[in-house]
Amino acid sequence: MPEMKLEMQVNGRKVMRLADPGQRLLDFLRDELNLTGTKEGCGAGECGTCSVFVDGKLVKSCLMPVAKAQGAEIQTVEGLAKPGELEAIQKAFHKTGASQCGYCIPGMVMAATSVLREAPEASLDEIKERMGGNICRCTGYSKIIEAVALARDVVTGRASPAVLEPETVGESYIGHNVRRLDAPSKVTGRLKYAGDMVMPDMAHMAVLRSPHAHAEIVSIDTSEAEAMAGVACVITAADVPGTDGFGVFVHDQPVMARGKVRHVGEAVAAVAAEDAATARRALTKIKVEYRDLPGLFDPEDALKPGAPVIHDYAPDNMVKHIPIRKGDIEAGFAAADLILEEAFSTQQVEHAYLEPEAGIAYVDHDDVVTVISPSQNITHHRHMLAGILALPINKVRFIMSPVGGGFGGKEDMIYQGMLALAAMKTHRPVRLVFTREESIAASAKRHPSRVTYRMGLTRDGRITAIRFEMLSDGGAYGMSSEGVMRKAAILSCGPYEIENLWIDTRAVYTNNTPSGAFRTFGGMQAQFATESMMDIAAERLGLDPFEIRRRNMMRAGSLTHTQQRLTSASIDRVLEAAEQASRWEPGAPTMRGPMRGDLGGPGTRAPCTLGARFETPKDSKERVA
Amino acid sequence: MQRRMRGRGVAASWYGIARTATVDRAGAWAELDDGGTAKVVTGVTEIGEGILTVLAQIAAEELGIRPEDVTIGDNDTARSPEAAHAGATRQTYMIGNSVALACREARARLFAEIAAHWEVDAGALVAFDGELRAQGTNLAMTMAEAVDLCKRRGVVPVGAGHFTAHGTGLNPEDGSGAPWQAYVFGTQVAEVEVDTVTGEVQVLGLWAAHDVGRVINPRGVEGQIEGGVVQGLGQALMEDYQTANGHPVTHGFAKYILPTALDVPEITSILVEDRDPLSPLGAKGIGEPALVPTAPAIINAIHDAVGVRIRSLPATPEKVLAAIAEKQAREAAAAKAAE
Ligand code: FES
Ligand code: FES
Repeated sequence: MPEMKLEMQVNGRKVMRLADPGQRLLDFLRDELNLTGTKEGCGAGECGTCSVFVDGKLVKSCLMPVAKAQGAEIQTVEGLAKPGELEAIQKAFHKTGASQCGYCIPGMVMAATSVLREAPEASLDEIKERMGGNICRCTGYSKIIEAVALARDVVTGRASPAVLEPETVGESYIGHNVRRLDAPSKVTGRLKYAGDMVMPDMAHMAVLRSPHAHAEIVSIDTSEAEAMAGVACVITAADVPGTDGFGVFVHDQPVMARGKVRHVGEAVAAVAAEDAATARRALTKIKVEYRDLPGLFDPEDALKPGAPVIHDYAPDNMVKHIPIRKGDIEAGFAAADLILEEAFSTQQVEHAYLEPEAGIAYVDHDDVVTVISPSQNITHHRHMLAGILALPINKVRFIMSPVGGGFGGKEDMIYQGMLALAAMKTHRPVRLVFTREESIAASAKRHPSRVTYRMGLTRDGRITAIRFEMLSDGGAYGMSSEGVMRKAAILSCGPYEIENLWIDTRAVYTNNTPSGAFRTFGGMQAQFATESMMDIAAERLGLDPFEIRRRNMMRAGSLTHTQQRLTSASIDRVLEAAEQASRWEPGAPTMRGPMRGDLGGPGTRAPCTLGARFETPKDSKERVA
Repeated sequence: MQRRMRGRGVAASWYGIARTATVDRAGAWAELDDGGTAKVVTGVTEIGEGILTVLAQIAAEELGIRPEDVTIGDNDTARSPEAAHAGATRQTYMIGNSVALACREARARLFAEIAAHWEVDAGALVAFDGELRAQGTNLAMTMAEAVDLCKRRGVVPVGAGHFTAHGTGLNPEDGSGAPWQAYVFGTQVAEVEVDTVTGEVQVLGLWAAHDVGRVINPRGVEGQIEGGVVQGLGQALMEDYQTANGHPVTHGFAKYILPTALDVPEITSILVEDRDPLSPLGAKGIGEPALVPTAPAIINAIHDAVGVRIRSLPATPEKVLAAIAEKQAREAAAAKAAE
């Protein structure tokens, strides 16, 4: 690696290092200077988590070669406030609850600092526009924008610094806006996520991933990679000592591909080496011979007779079918005045947590195999890994590092097994940090769904029967599909008491990126269809959308779709609360928009016109419509 | 049709709290510590939702100290009791109640000693915000003094607690069963503007009314709702993970479009409290339910604005334009036929 003497001012201190001038400023800050408050969310200039000031200008440090920062003055999130103190903007984030997982937050704080420095009088719209290059997956931005506006008001003297102080407690801490206890560590960049942690003698892992959607592995030759200088070990499925298989419901996924690959991006082998670059180079020396197999890319095809079989244990490619039956749907449809038939579909969705998967594993002094990672389910992961490693449960230890966003996507044990195997093989700590592309290709998604819906109603809007069928693409592995299908089925027909139901949800295997747990676990896909149906029905029957929902809603004593007797049901209260707060003007949903009188009032923002937003004069404080 | 058309839509929803169709459980340990502080240990906590702060509030309330005096040790299978996983909208319900029960046991140990010392009934003791007193007397001391006294009497005020949610499995034939013991309900109203030339949909306002059982931290609940709504908005209008013959096509954030600060509506959260009768705290949850009604509320609002029904998510500008064109062609054909 060519080295160069790099000199710059970082957070007010002179810094000199002999280092690779081609590396990114981001790596230099994180790896050479241990300033890990600057995060890598994408490595491609698209998320803003790596934002720093270079000579006073906000830049994305993942896009800047460190050589270009030669002689520059750099400020990172660690340099904003003195140790133990917080700047006004950081206090404002603390006060409004603007940090959730915290992974975007150092970048957000930097972008907000730039707003306050460059446009201290910025309007709300200008704040949003200036922060528009920073992605947050957790907060919905509202409290972040609120924090910037609050800090702006304090900095410009429009508000007293007292507004940044905590609220005083009344008679109870329950119901009180206690400020998040973890916020100071997040707004200062001090919190260490797994990818920020280093251990002495740590090796770095890189993973060889399948370029094929469905292929037999004829052979794997790792000898050349193993012989490379700087390589600590290479692992494949052959290194697994116990029963290879994990999954939230069915253990159908090997730690690394065993015999065949089932989706593009599946792990096939992994290398641990002195540094990540060496590990990545070694991957290119691993020779894998594949024999292509016919692939399945559509869930309907998976159910056809003679379809390729993806898992031997499931010759029909069915991951899970959940049926729910209640009452007599024939009679229900016979009693209907109106029968609606519709079809709906939802897409596959990426969790897009800003923190890509990362972890460190080591074997401790008592031979306990320890994995530190942002796992959402350390309890289950410990169980599964003990079986995979053929170790007693108490010789496997999982520590959950701060999670930079999960949303269900970090419930699957897709890399912890590899880390453990490499740590056992080398007796060194081993760290793996996914790239964004790797995270997107290898992690589970929200199940895409296709729903066919048949609903019968009486003229006055009472639902007499529902037939609900949902087919979901589970992708290559089972992961959470079983549970997702169960929850989708249970919740499918919404908060309504319906006497006659026929519900089927099915997830099937394909060779697409696996689907797994994602916030709502099937609940949103199913209820998207139901809530669309409710409005379609309301339109046909000339009923107000709130009214048709009230005519069918569950009440205390109702029998749910699974025939559970409810002791209470707050649906009436939330309907009324939303109706009142939004000042809803009643009427049937017949493209009433142009005639409505309730639009544009309190609780709405002005629309923005793309382009016009960017022509706003800097000093304008007006909303730009 | 005018260029910019507005409309509103509503969607309702329901959700179950904690793990589905099974017995869910979680455990925690608590110790009232020197100086009137506390240690709480449990197996799973923060994934960004704010549960650490919620647990500190619960512990503070139960122990009579301040949230900042609570230290939470957590998330280590070799050092903390099992609390299962961070998901299923179960953290406040499962871990929150476990922590409350563990703290109650620790507090009972301390109160027994102080009551004996003061020669009053332990039932007369109340502690809040670092102060302990015996009701109906003028006896009072700080919690720091109370812990010190308790320990000098030879007792370390520790407690353990666990909480169970009794869900049942589903019958494999007809799906009958009681999958959860606590349910929440929500309703959202969306106001949108549709640009009939570009097909772009902006969500301008969103009202979200959610039953959470009991609010522990209002701002935290709002934060969950706002985050959920914006994820729902992303799924309704733009996010779309695509593969071609199994190969990911949307492999970075340049291709996989996420909502930014510019896409966010003004969000009004309305917190409804229908307390859970089966748990010590009465709180339920909000993490997942917050995003369930967002997409259908937006899609129903698009229909209200321009009269087209989007049945396939996301409602991209292309899809909205195609639907408008199709509707106009249909109407033109109908008008022609009527001539
Ligand atoms: S913009 Fe640099 S890491 Fe995303
Ligand atoms: S708090 Fe912004 S990504 Fe989690």
